[in-house]
Amino acid sequence: MTTDGATPADITSVVVRLKLSLLRNGLRQSGGRRAAYVVSAVVVLLFGALQLLGLIALRGHAHAEAVVVLLVAVLALGWAVMPLFFPGGDETLDPTRLVMLPLRPRPLVRALLAASLVGIGPLFTLLLLTGSVITVAHGGAAYAVAVVGVVLALLVCVALARAVAAANIRLLTSRKGRDLAVLSGLVIAIGAQLVNFGAQRLGSSGLSQLEPAGDVLRWVPPASAIGAVDSASEGSYGVAVLQLALSAGALVALIAVWARHLTKLMTSPDGSTLQSATDQPARDPGTSGGLARLLPAGRTGTVMERSLRYVWRDPKTKAAWVTSLAIGLIVPVFNALQGTGSIYFACFAAGMLGIQMYNQFGQDTSAFWMVATTISSARDAYVELRGRALALLVITLPYATLVTVLTTAMLGDWPRLPEALGLSFALLGAMLATGAWTSARFPYSIPQEGYKNVAPGQTGLAWISIFGGMVSAALLTAPVIAATIWANVAKNGDDWGWLLLPAGAAYGTAITLTGLHLAAPRTASRLPEILTAVSKG
Amino acid sequence: MTSAVSVRGLWKRFGQQVAVAGIDLELPAGKFIGLVGPNGAGKTTTLSMVTGLLRPDHGTVEVVGHDVWRDPVAVKARIGVLPEGLRLFERLSGRELLGYSGRLRGLPGAEVERRATQLLDVLDLAGAQHKLVVDYSTGMRKKIGLAAALLHNPEVLFLDEPFEGVDPVSAQTIRGVLERYTASGATVVFSSHVMELVESLCDWVAVMAAGRIRAQGTLAEVRGQAPTLQRAFLELVGAGGRDAGSDLDWLGGGAR
Repeated sequence: MTTDGATPADITSVVVRLKLSLLRNGLRQSGGRRAAYVVSAVVVLLFGALQLLGLIALRGHAHAEAVVVLLVAVLALGWAVMPLFFPGGDETLDPTRLVMLPLRPRPLVRALLAASLVGIGPLFTLLLLTGSVITVAHGGAAYAVAVVGVVLALLVCVALARAVAAANIRLLTSRKGRDLAVLSGLVIAIGAQLVNFGAQRLGSSGLSQLEPAGDVLRWVPPASAIGAVDSASEGSYGVAVLQLALSAGALVALIAVWARHLTKLMTSPDGSTLQSATDQPARDPGTSGGLARLLPAGRTGTVMERSLRYVWRDPKTKAAWVTSLAIGLIVPVFNALQGTGSIYFACFAAGMLGIQMYNQFGQDTSAFWMVATTISSARDAYVELRGRALALLVITLPYATLVTVLTTAMLGDWPRLPEALGLSFALLGAMLATGAWTSARFPYSIPQEGYKNVAPGQTGLAWISIFGGMVSAALLTAPVIAATIWANVAKNGDDWGWLLLPAGAAYGTAITLTGLHLAAPRTASRLPEILTAVSKG
Repeated sequence: MTSAVSVRGLWKRFGQQVAVAGIDLELPAGKFIGLVGPNGAGKTTTLSMVTGLLRPDHGTVEVVGHDVWRDPVAVKARIGVLPEGLRLFERLSGRELLGYSGRLRGLPGAEVERRATQLLDVLDLAGAQHKLVVDYSTGMRKKIGLAAALLHNPEVLFLDEPFEGVDPVSAQTIRGVLERYTASGATVVFSSHVMELVESLCDWVAVMAAGRIRAQGTLAEVRGQAPTLQRAFLELVGAGGRDAGSDLDWLGGGAR
C-alpha cells in the first residue's frame, strides 16, 4: 500500500475537486443540461436575493422571529427529504462509490461535509440564513451570535442531508427507491398546493398565526441557531447560548450517526442482490386474484388485468394516472367552489382520463414485443386495443360520473346534469377513438428512468400524437357540443336536454368502436415499426 | 431433410450501416442449432427479422414452411421467442407473467396454470414466483423468459444469447430443459459468442460475421481440420493470428 502519504487535508481537497469535476462534466454532457443549470442558478440567486431583500424589509416587524424561524425549519426539512427524492442529484452523496479506496471514516466525513458545501443548494441556504439573521439581529452581541448561528445552521442542514442519505442508501440505490423518485414530482405538486393554501390563510389573517409554531421551532435545531440571534438581541444571553448549544449538539449527533452508517456501508457487503435463505411462503395459491374472476375470459380479460395492475404497480403509469385523476377533479370542483365554475368544466375529468389512452404501446416500453408476438391478425389487434380501452373505462366511467355529479351538486344545477354527463361520455369516446388511432400511428418511447416522458428525438411525434389527437377529439365531439348549445338556446331546448345523456353515451360508444376498428388493422400491420418506436427508452 | 427455418437474401440497413448483408440460411428441423459470431455480427438483427419483430429491407423468411411476413397466423403460433435487450412486463410477478403470456396466446386458463406450475418448478423459480420480475436477477429473467417462450409448446424456439450473464447453476438448468425439448423433435435456434458452449450443445452451426454467413453446416463440417470450434471460428472471421501485444511489458512480475 502506498497511500500513507495522503493526509486528511489532501482527501478533503480531492473530494471537493471531485465534486467540482462531476459538476463540470455533467454540464459538459449536453447544451440543454448546461442551459438548465445556468437558468436554475440564476433563478435561485434571484430568488435568494429577493428573499434577502424581503427579510431585511421585515426587520423590526413584531412577528419577524416567528417568520425566520419557520423559514429555517422548512429549509431544514427540505434538506432532509431532498436526498430521498433526488438521489441522482449528487453522486458524491453515494459513499458506496468510494468503497474501494483506503479511507478512514473521520477524514472521509470531513471531506464529504466540505464537498457538500459546494453547489447551488448550499449557496441558496447561505443567502436565506444570512437574510434571516439580519432580520432579527440588533446589537453587536447579536451579530456575533449571528455569525456562529449561520455557520452552525448551514452545517446542520448539510449534515442532515448526508445522514439521511447514508442511512437510506440501500433504499435509494434499490428499485423501490427509484420508484419513489418518479413519484417525487407529485409530492412537489401537492406541497406547492399546501404552500399556496397556507399563504392564502396567512394573507387573510396575518403573520400572528405563526407565533405558536415559532415558539416551538426556536428550540428545534437548526432553527434554534437563528432563534439564538433573536434571544441575544433581546439581551437573554443565557437562552442564546443554550439555543446555540442545541444546534451544535444536533450537528455533533448528526455527524456521529452519519459516520456510523458510513463505516457500516464501507465495511459490509452490499446485500441487495442476495436471495433470502427462506423463500417467501407461497401466498395466493389460487394465483389469479379476485380481480381476474370479475373480468371477461380470453384476451380481453387478460389485457384488462395487466393494464389495471400496471396502473397501480408501474411508477410512471401510476404518476400519470394520479395526475389525471387529480386535475380532473381539481379544475371543476375548485372552480365551482370559487363561484367561477360551470357544470361543463366537469368534462375535464373525462378529457384528462381519456389522455391515458394515448400512446398505449409506448406505456408498454420494449415489453411490447410480448404483445407483438401474439398479434397475428387485425382481429387480435382489435381485441387488444378494446381490452385496453375497457380497462381504462373501468376507472374512468365511474370517476367522470362522480366528478360531474359532485360539480352539479356544488353548483345546484341539477337540470343540466344529463347534458353534462352526455357531453362527458361523448368526449371520452372521442378521446378513446383518437387515442387508439394515434397509439398505432404515432407511438413513442417513454423512458423508464428519470422525469422525462418522451425519449430524446421523439418530441415531435409526441406532440403530434397528443395535441393532434386532442384537437381531433374535440372536433369529433362537435356534433354533441352543437346539440348542447342548441338545447340551451332554442325555445323548447330545455325540454330536450335530457335526451343528450343517451345520445352522448351512444355517440361516444359508436365513435370508440369506429376508432378501434380503424386502429386495429394499422396496429396489426405496423407491429415491427411500433416495437422500434417504443424501444428507445 | 426438412427445413425448420429457410432464409433467402435477407438484408437490413440502419442508415449508412449494413447490419445484415443478404444472408441465406437453411436450418434443419429437430436440431440444436447455434448461430455464432462476434459482437456486432448481426445475430440479433437476424433473429429479430426471422421472428417477425423487425421488418427486413429485402428477402424472405419461412418458418416450418410458412412465410413469416405473409402468413403470421401460422408462424406466430408455432414459434417461441426469447429476445435480447428487450424488456418483459416486469411489474408482473413471475407467475402472473406466464399467465398473461399463455392466455394472450389463447390457451385455456387452467391449462396455463398447470404448465406454468411445472415450468416454474423445473426452472427452479417456484420460490420466486410471486416476486415481481423487476426484482429478478439476470439468470432468473432469462429463465422466466424461457418459460414464457415454451409455454405454448412451440415447434421452433428462437433464443438470443440465452446464457449471457447467467450463473452456472441456472445455465445447467436451462440446458437440461432445452435438451429435453429438442429430444422430442423440436428445433432450437440460439445465438451466442461462447464457442465452448456451442460446441458442447449444438449439432448444427452457422457462423456469422459483419452481416454475412461465413459457414453453416454440422458441427464437424464447420470445424473442419481445426482442433476446436474456437480456432475454426477465429480463422473464419479473420482474427486467427492476433497476439495480446508486447507493449504491456510492465504487467505482472510483482509491483515496481
